[in-house]
Amino acid sequence: MSGIIFSTWRDEFIDNRGKSSDELSESGFKLPETYHGDKNSKAFIGWDGVAIFDEDIDAVELASQYAAQYQEYSEACGRCAPGRWGGRILYDLLDKIARGEGSHDDITHLKEIAQTMMTTSKCEIGKTVPVPILDLMEHYKDQFDTCINGQIPSKHYAGDTTYIAKVTAPCTDMCPAHVDIPAYIEGVRDMVFTESLAATRQTMPLAHTCGRVCPHPCEDACRRMNLDEPISIMELKRLGADYETDHDLPWLHPVEPKPLRTDGKKVAIIGAGPAGLTAAYYLALEGIQSHIFEELPVNGGEVAVGVPEYRMPIGKYQKDIDLVLELEAVSITNNHRVDADRLKEIEAEYDATLLGFGARLSKKVRAANENVNMGGYWGAIEMLDKVNLWHKYDIGSPASNELEGKTVVCVGGGFTSMDVVRCSIREGAKKVVMLYRRDEKTIIRNTTYEEYHEAVEEGVEFIFHSAIEEIYDDGKNITGLKINMFELVPDPDGGRAQLVKKEGADFEMECDYLIPAVSQALDTQILPEEWNLEMTSWNSILTNGKDFMTSRPGLFAAGDCEYGPMTIVNAVGQARRAASVISRYIYDGKCTLTDDEIMEDHLNKLRVYDKKEKITGWMPGLPRAESEKLGVEERKTNNKEVNLGFTGEEALAEAERCMRCYYISMVAV
Amino acid sequence: MGVHNSINKGKAITVTIDGKVCQSTFGKTILDIARENDIYIPTMCYLTKVQPIASCRMCIVDVEGVDGMILSCQEKATDGAVVNTQNDELNKERQNIMKLYNVNHPLECGVCDKSGECDLQNKTMEFGLEEQAFTARDQHRPVENWGHVSYDPALCIMCEKCVRVSTEITGDEALQLKFGGYSSTIINVKQEKNYASLGEAAAVCPVGALVDTNFKYTTNAWELEKIPSACPHCGGGCQMTYEVKNERIYRMTNAFEFSNLCGAGRYGFDYANENVSKDAKAFSSAVEAFENAQSILFSSQISNEEALILQKLKKEKGYKLVSSEARSYQKFMQAYSSITGKSLYGGTLKGISESRAIIVLGTKINDDSPTVKYHINMASKWHRARVAYMHPLEDLEIKNIVTQFIKYEAGSEEGVAALLVETLLKDIEVPNAIRAFLDDLDIGNLSAESNIGEEELVFLAKSLIKKSGFSLVVGSDLYAHPKAVQIAKLLALLEEYAGFNVVCVPPAGNAMGISLICDLDDEAEGKTVGYNAPADFTLSALGDGDLDMPAMNQQEGTLTTNDKRVVPMNVALPYGGYVLNDIANALGLDAEYTIEYTKELPAEKGFEAQAFDSLPDYFDSVGNEHRGYLLKSIKTSVSRTLEEVSDIDGFDGAVIYNCDPTEQFSAFTAKCEALKMEAFLLGSKQFATATKLQDGESISFSIDGVRFDRVFKIDTSMKGTIALNPTFDMGLSAALLSSYRFSRLDFERAGK
Repeated sequence: MSGIIFSTWRDEFIDNRGKSSDELSESGFKLPETYHGDKNSKAFIGWDGVAIFDEDIDAVELASQYAAQYQEYSEACGRCAPGRWGGRILYDLLDKIARGEGSHDDITHLKEIAQTMMTTSKCEIGKTVPVPILDLMEHYKDQFDTCINGQIPSKHYAGDTTYIAKVTAPCTDMCPAHVDIPAYIEGVRDMVFTESLAATRQTMPLAHTCGRVCPHPCEDACRRMNLDEPISIMELKRLGADYETDHDLPWLHPVEPKPLRTDGKKVAIIGAGPAGLTAAYYLALEGIQSHIFEELPVNGGEVAVGVPEYRMPIGKYQKDIDLVLELEAVSITNNHRVDADRLKEIEAEYDATLLGFGARLSKKVRAANENVNMGGYWGAIEMLDKVNLWHKYDIGSPASNELEGKTVVCVGGGFTSMDVVRCSIREGAKKVVMLYRRDEKTIIRNTTYEEYHEAVEEGVEFIFHSAIEEIYDDGKNITGLKINMFELVPDPDGGRAQLVKKEGADFEMECDYLIPAVSQALDTQILPEEWNLEMTSWNSILTNGKDFMTSRPGLFAAGDCEYGPMTIVNAVGQARRAASVISRYIYDGKCTLTDDEIMEDHLNKLRVYDKKEKITGWMPGLPRAESEKLGVEERKTNNKEVNLGFTGEEALAEAERCMRCYYISMVAV
Repeated sequence: MGVHNSINKGKAITVTIDGKVCQSTFGKTILDIARENDIYIPTMCYLTKVQPIASCRMCIVDVEGVDGMILSCQEKATDGAVVNTQNDELNKERQNIMKLYNVNHPLECGVCDKSGECDLQNKTMEFGLEEQAFTARDQHRPVENWGHVSYDPALCIMCEKCVRVSTEITGDEALQLKFGGYSSTIINVKQEKNYASLGEAAAVCPVGALVDTNFKYTTNAWELEKIPSACPHCGGGCQMTYEVKNERIYRMTNAFEFSNLCGAGRYGFDYANENVSKDAKAFSSAVEAFENAQSILFSSQISNEEALILQKLKKEKGYKLVSSEARSYQKFMQAYSSITGKSLYGGTLKGISESRAIIVLGTKINDDSPTVKYHINMASKWHRARVAYMHPLEDLEIKNIVTQFIKYEAGSEEGVAALLVETLLKDIEVPNAIRAFLDDLDIGNLSAESNIGEEELVFLAKSLIKKSGFSLVVGSDLYAHPKAVQIAKLLALLEEYAGFNVVCVPPAGNAMGISLICDLDDEAEGKTVGYNAPADFTLSALGDGDLDMPAMNQQEGTLTTNDKRVVPMNVALPYGGYVLNDIANALGLDAEYTIEYTKELPAEKGFEAQAFDSLPDYFDSVGNEHRGYLLKSIKTSVSRTLEEVSDIDGFDGAVIYNCDPTEQFSAFTAKCEALKMEAFLLGSKQFATATKLQDGESISFSIDGVRFDRVFKIDTSMKGTIALNPTFDMGLSAALLSSYRFSRLDFERAGK
């Protein structure tokens, strides 16, 4: 049975007041009727309306408390005239009514101010805060009238209802690390780049990195898309990070790191990749000691040894790494492979252990005669390790020793495969072919438009709808491949289209190196068998996706080893949450979430971005800024960074396109 | 996928505003285009010289086919847009915003400095508000005294203009927003510095919230007579307006919407030579001294017209004209011109502010020329400009702007210039002789002697990867350098072959004007007359010579600016004594007023034959500068020969560097009440150790025959073995300093 009494959320209107149980409407939205555990919500109020779950709701106090949040949140206001004074008057008048001192003139004034705020405010908070307040004033008018006519306080005024609020934005919600994107863009717009960086680092320590190689899911939730094109969110992140580096500033932390705790609590982190670094960072800001165990001689995980220099210069990534490792609370041991026995020791010694060892086993392509030990068969991870260790750290030998003048075939379709083919070009391969089961549109969706087009420009040959049937060798080395071609056949019943093999389209091709980059798996040998850790159906470590504790108490997992091969920003988001949970777990042995985290999860479930929303008050048709890239001849024989980043002018123009879509949401419990 | 912004930028578009068809280009905002077409849109937070702030929301307009109200200050106009700036709905919202601005705003206009020139007052009237429609619970927020300026949060409307000026223009970054909704406020995070540049921020305050502390409560704004002029201090010739009542200057204001005025210009106004009457006896002695003199010494504190008078007297009488700073600059620029074939450097201040990469060489720019520093800061903020600061001393004050500090040994500037040119011309086609010269350079040796690592140059070259918009700013360290001619030629190569926007920042005062107008001599001989310089017979605007002269704010005439513009100065305060023109007339020249010479300024040096009274002095509604005229660059003969780079004469031991603090340029700024400060020899702890000097110890030393008695102070923010030696307190004798700004410190302890 639906617990919804009343709702104006988004385009829905539900009014179940006074209706019999068989007449009740239900909401199509995942509204937070239950706040957390067995705690129910009385109401949810936000930018797009209000939902009431408790008959006994005090609508006047709910409205005034929502207006109060507008005063509360520093990001929200003080930056425009309608918001700054309008928001204050909104709250003052609502509270006056709730106290029992209001008049009907106040209602008129409220409506007038609300109108100006909704039309002229700078950010969406100012524009949207009046929305649910006006809804309440209309649909719970009797409660307002009672207060005014009787000059009495609202029915539960200053009672025991708790109001829990959170500011979000569509982009922030969509970002797995929940970066305060409008704030860092505003820092660029204000040309106070330190503020921009501080905003990023609140939830994302890898500012250089995620200003370069993030697949930016946020941009798919940018409201600007409803008007013209999304903001170039990712690239604007570089400005703050570059500013710190360019001006040789001391590390700019979002908050002053707390003094190192002396209670002996310590956390072990397995792997110095994005997840491990992130967890160490946020634990350190809390003054909690952590020790990282890293198998490789170099730090940074797959982003260091997997992502090529031309995409992610190590000098920049190293800044992100140093930011973390130079904190007093963080220590690290390199060249230290943790196996199952060692993990048992570590787990016993530390108050909590976070697994962040990634997924670094190349999966097979599943073709006939596939032999991983055959000459010329080279897993993507191993190949990229070799390339990057040489170019970035002078470790090993150049991969051009193997690849120069050779025909390289990669099977893939994701970022890793793009790195493989573009590196192969740079290592001097004669011919580089990418085989992909699906089409061009999909490869662009799985990676980025730039990534695909730059690869094509550099001379990579893409064969879509293709797969290897059989691998040929001469007993020592791979010599060639038999390729099948497929076509996408629509399901006559309207189901998902099927890939069907095209008869007679098979062909053979020459091949010196076959580099499978279809996916990666995690190395489960590290996990002690007797722990019987629960795993997902795709064989990654299972957690509930909220507190990131595994089935073994005190053992947490984040990043690719938890999720399967995924993005940097996903690892960062998971690890930050895990660090937060761990920071409490090591003291009370419980897995708890903060109100902010609970709200974060509610909003994520509800979905903040509404792709159908019509945007008003902004000039459409202002093009998205594109940064300058190195020309193909300037880049394809070297490891120079391809993307030169925004000029100041481009960055400012782009920042000015940002509509600052902050929203306040609030739950009454 | 999107189109590269820079591709669309500048594309012709047509926009209709209030029925008027306006031709413009993409990239401009609706407000820009409206203003170009004299269409009024009300604003409270808009400040033309910074990026759109967008806090007031008053500039909303209606665009046909677009839902909602559009912010015209920020939103770029698109081709074909039809805009309406006035209708009832817009007016109602604007009126409501004005109601909000008036919430709790104290109604004490009678005692507010801003009354009469207050935007809030004006707009409240304009929108017909007669009462405060809304109130909110008031907050207690006391006035804060920040030194040069004071801040009253109760009056502040949070337009953010001051913060933008502090960030985008002056770059002091002292002012920040403290968010917090209704209690939002402006904070000064660098109060201990008492930056005079905060006057720039106060200038743009639309209400009485941020005001000049010294001006506060002294007079009503409408009682002040406004006398437009140009600032004579640093050589920037910035626009400024004296505001005068009863023969007293109360304050300086400026065309803040479009231009800037540094702390010295804003607060250094009370240096007039007052209470002077015509002393006939002293005058006849002066005429006699001129009759008998063989040389005239003078400082840079004179107008173009006075320089022309001296030049004419030279022709008549055969004087040696000696003005050391201007002479060094003249020789430097002559050498520079021998490469470029043009009499003036090619760069402009606007060019600096539009740069993507800037190299600063041979100047402590933050102190030498605040206005140039502001333009470098603009480039840093607007264009993310890489700024390489090459100097023997690191300047922490500009760390927020500088992206690469390249330290070199004092004295090694020729080698530094050679290294720089070699690095920057590497992939550029140059004549064979120059390529041969560059190829012959002993880079290793130059690098070792100047102490600039080759990796620093590689990094510098790498940071110029975007291939346009380069500026080079060079300054006074180079002009009196023993190898100035060679340095000038080397650096000119960057303008000639690498397209650099080069600005050779003139020394303070009107050194550039003098260098163009006068045939200067290197040395004085025989009997001397000094004009603002000590000599056998001294004319002094400080009032301490043999005959009084008017100070710059008591004269009319023109100045030549570092932006190559000839700008008019007007008389702010009366002067009762004799002027140089009187002496000239007694010596046989014939002009009733000094400004009769304005139209005679030498055309062959790029001046125009314009009468003083015909010189314009304003900015138009979109900010185009109409002040005087731009100097023409004249073709000069070319001789692109470079000498072999000589061995570098470094300094051993302790070195001092003649350099005034940011607000000081001369004995005249030193006189000003708001800028009063003591002069110390400032050095690091390391300097103290090297010289065995104690903090607070008194010493004496001489430079160019000028004796300095100085107290030494340790400045813990400094590093290295170079100390700063100010000269602003040296009166007229500072005019005698003629050599390279760095010198070895040979001192005597006090009492010895």
